[in-house]
Amino acid sequence: MTIDLEKQLRDALRPAAPPEGFAERIAARIEAVRLRRRRLSPPFVWVPAALAASLVLGFVALHQWELRREQQQGLQARRELIEALRVTGEKLDLAYRGVSDASRPANPDDAGT
Amino acid sequence: MTDGAACAVTDLLSEARSGDRAAFAGLVRRHQRAVYSLALRMLWDQHKAEDLAQDVFMQLYRKLAHMQSDAHVASWLRKVTTHLAIDRLRQEPRYELVPLEADPGVPAEPAGGDPLLQRRLRALLAQLPPPARAVLLLRYQEDLDPVEIASTLDMPVNTVKSHLKRSLSSLREQLGEGFESAAAPEGGPIT
Repeated sequence: MTIDLEKQLRDALRPAAPPEGFAERIAARIEAVRLRRRRLSPPFVWVPAALAASLVLGFVALHQWELRREQQQGLQARRELIEALRVTGEKLDLAYRGVSDASRPANPDDAGT
Repeated sequence: MTDGAACAVTDLLSEARSGDRAAFAGLVRRHQRAVYSLALRMLWDQHKAEDLAQDVFMQLYRKLAHMQSDAHVASWLRKVTTHLAIDRLRQEPRYELVPLEADPGVPAEPAGGDPLLQRRLRALLAQLPPPARAVLLLRYQEDLDPVEIASTLDMPVNTVKSHLKRSLSSLREQLGEGFESAAAPEGGPIT
């Protein structure tokens, strides 16, 4: 007697029923996922993004402020240098005049005697 | 399937897509036997099979928007179930012999034929390498032809045919004399 293996396989492999409550357990998992998503949804989902954006803006503003401060310090130093040069120039001028006056004879008539 | 039934299934899918949880539960109930049976006979463990089947339906829930028809859902479920099962078997290889008494893959309703022989067949199937096991399950449990099996498992049709041929002759060898295949006689082509 021959046995049809393929028919036996089909009989042996008819679908098995999942354990009781299988679909309900999937529904519960889906519900848990939805609740977790809802808990993370607005406004909380935007909190990390807002924090990151604030940090970036803060860094950019700080950098700009630093640049402007350095620029103002440079301008101030330039003004002070010009002032110092001006004062030095005046002092040199005064000294030159003093030296010139001292080397000139007191009475022009005494020059020939 | 009648036109009315096909229409109801399509409605179920479109309602599930629009967020109706009861409709999605209906889709789960419609496909749970096929998915669970594939998982069970691939993994040979009821708890692991239920975990895997639940993961598959959770993936389906996330991918609902991409599903076009009930046939698409069915083929997608078969594909994801077999691929996930093969992946899990690769992560935890099971090379031990499967005892006949520990048969978790008992069908829902008893069929005609020899229950002891069917039990032995399921046990022998569980000892095949995972890809060959998946091929036999898709052929004899899901009734797919080799082209559909090839597309489900992403393997060439000739590989599917050679898996079928080798697995059937291995089963025949282990079962002893008296086993013949009506559809695929020894050495004949498997279509």
